[in-house]
Amino acid sequence: MLVVTTVTALLLFVTLLNMTANVRSDLQERFQNELASMHALQEVRHAALAERCRTLARKPRIHAALEDNALDLLYPSARDELRDVMESDQSPAQGVAAYAIHASYYRFLDRNGAVIIPPVIQDVGQLRPTEEAFLTLPSVPTGPQTGYLLRHPRTGGGAIDEVIAMPIISTERGEVIAALVLGFKLVDPTNTPADADIKSGIWTSGRLYLPSLSEAVRTSLTAPVARGVVASSLPEGSFTVQVDGAPCLLFYKLLNPGSLFPPAYEIGIYQLGGSLARQRRLIWEFAGIGCLLLGGAFAASRYLAKRLSVPVEKLAIDSEENRTQRNRAESALELTHEELQRSARFSADASHQLKTPVTVLRAGLEELLSGEKLTPGTREEIAALVHQTFRLTSVIEDLLLLSRLDAGRLKLVFSSVNVPPLIEAWLDDFGALPETTSLKVETDFPSTLLIEGEKRFISLILQNLLENARKYNCAGGRIRITAHPEGIWGILTVGNTGVPIPAAAQGHIFERFHRGAAGENIPGHGLGLNLARELARLHRGDLLLARSADNWTEFEVRFRLAAAAPVTTHDSP
Amino acid sequence: MNAPYRHRHPSPPLSESVAKVCSCRIRLRRARRSPLFPLLVLALAWPPGNIFAQASVEGYVALPKTHSAPVQIKRYEIVAKGGILSTNPPVAVVYLEGPFAPAARPQTESVAQKDMEFVPTLLPVQTGTRVEFPNLDDVYHNIFSYSPAKRFDLGRYRQDERPVPSVVFDVPGLVVLRCDIHEHMRGLILVLATPHFVLTDADGHYRLNGLPAGHYVLKAWLNSRTTLERSLDLQDGVVLRVDFP
Repeated sequence: MLVVTTVTALLLFVTLLNMTANVRSDLQERFQNELASMHALQEVRHAALAERCRTLARKPRIHAALEDNALDLLYPSARDELRDVMESDQSPAQGVAAYAIHASYYRFLDRNGAVIIPPVIQDVGQLRPTEEAFLTLPSVPTGPQTGYLLRHPRTGGGAIDEVIAMPIISTERGEVIAALVLGFKLVDPTNTPADADIKSGIWTSGRLYLPSLSEAVRTSLTAPVARGVVASSLPEGSFTVQVDGAPCLLFYKLLNPGSLFPPAYEIGIYQLGGSLARQRRLIWEFAGIGCLLLGGAFAASRYLAKRLSVPVEKLAIDSEENRTQRNRAESALELTHEELQRSARFSADASHQLKTPVTVLRAGLEELLSGEKLTPGTREEIAALVHQTFRLTSVIEDLLLLSRLDAGRLKLVFSSVNVPPLIEAWLDDFGALPETTSLKVETDFPSTLLIEGEKRFISLILQNLLENARKYNCAGGRIRITAHPEGIWGILTVGNTGVPIPAAAQGHIFERFHRGAAGENIPGHGLGLNLARELARLHRGDLLLARSADNWTEFEVRFRLAAAAPVTTHDSP
Repeated sequence: MNAPYRHRHPSPPLSESVAKVCSCRIRLRRARRSPLFPLLVLALAWPPGNIFAQASVEGYVALPKTHSAPVQIKRYEIVAKGGILSTNPPVAVVYLEGPFAPAARPQTESVAQKDMEFVPTLLPVQTGTRVEFPNLDDVYHNIFSYSPAKRFDLGRYRQDERPVPSVVFDVPGLVVLRCDIHEHMRGLILVLATPHFVLTDADGHYRLNGLPAGHYVLKAWLNSRTTLERSLDLQDGVVLRVDFP
């Protein structure tokens, strides 16, 4: 924000400086343009007058008078020749146009530059002695000369005349023998309205001719103009002066460079008051606009920053929370993973360590059983011990399988498995068991139900479920087995009569080593359901307790129906 | 040229000369009534050399060298160098100065304006000679002179102006002719108080015949500033050779 403010302020400052410079240069340019437009007319007129003078200076009669020693005929001849150039007394006032091309007076200069006195003053235009003295040049000019004669300076500002001196070159001698000097009333450069921005005048011979200014102001300006114009000795320039206490820009330009007549400067006085006020107003406007812009920019940036930062801040907070949660979850997962690995390793190690002694134990017991000296009681006990070793082996195998499952080392080879034959095979085995005679078995399944899986594990799942249905049944109870396809699933249910699982225990029956309170006397080790569910999930299916109430407990296991081609999958890497 | 149109107005000197010419004519009319008039006419018409044994002068005037090509026709232009008027190619006027009486019967000569030039450009005349200035161009001319010997201004006139504007030159001296319309035009009339004058040829040779015996000054006018002179004694029947080197 500080940077933006500084940059904006700097920009405003530079713009302001630039603008001030522009205002001044505009002023100067405007003055030059006004001056140029005024001068355009003057120059055309001056050129016309100079050409006229040149033509007059070539007049044969004038040459004859000068060359043929007839000076007494000079002015009379000139009177004839200059009749149309001189102002007509009969029509003294035909406006500006009349004296724009008409001369007020003329004189001849001899070869020393002195005025040749005219015999009849009325013919050549009257001049005061001082004014006539002005026409005298230090030497006869070799080229056209322009001068500005301030006449009657003491009365009401007087008038200014443009004086053109044109050399008369002898056709016989090729040298300047005289000069013709004509005085023209100036088509007034000073003829500007009193309220115009630029007041123009002429400065010559230490006097200022500027009738649009009052006498007092002219007098007060004389000294500074003399200092500024004459002291600078430059053909043109400008400086500031005070007119009536107001600052004015004064421009000056030498009108007759290189002339033998006294130098005359065109003076332009430009009121700075208006432009200064304009400049001040512009400065205020700029400053105001700048402040408004800055304020607006500040407010807008604040608003935008706030709007933009909200989601970012939220994102930052969310991201922090997420990271904490993720870290926590990751560490928990890590911990669980390690525990799982440890547990799996332990199960595997324990199973392997146990398997050998159990085998040895069973072999020993069977060896004892084959002895002949045993009492029937002993024999029965040893037979019971052998049976226990089988149970132990079964537990160990389950544990081993589970540990492989946990460690993710169990590799399934999926194929299309027809479930009904597996059920029927089990039912065959089931019928051979002595304690199943009182149980009634109901079945409801199609002859073919192909599911995805590995046959031995699906068989193991079914075996566990049917085993539980037998074990937890009541006397004279029944078992119901159904299988049917449903969508992508092949659903198989195994229900049995008997004391239902208490509601509080229902959530734990799939946990490892959990055994229902009702089955204290029922053989088992609490690994079957856990193993069955793990295997079912490994087959991308599931095992769940469908219901257990009103003397009926029913499990439901679902497998995916077999696709066309066998699929091999890995549980985990 | 935007000079105003000027009607002919005889300038005062011209009026005077006209008056003088008039007085001459009056005198001539008086002479006709005299019984000696036929004899007078015979004497004037007779070639002078055959009646009297008169003197002659011949010689050579050294003319300034000119770079101009030889002139085939006898026509000269006036050149001005450093304020000195002369003809180009150079030519001199040789004349005998002495107390000669004015011409009993004034001559009439002519300086025409042809092709914006005076023809001839240099004309020697005896005082009292009337010179006509016929305009042979199709444009206006305005012949004037501010020379002390004769100031006149013929005003503007054209070819058909009648009578042909003329001026009587009654004061010896050099008259510079100018045209107010054509500033380059210059002509010279050398007014001499003698009837004995001659123009040299282009080589400077001259011969003056019919001169009276006596002591005189022979002059050679070369240009507006240079006139050479020799004193000489003329004897009847003698051809004197005078060179102006």
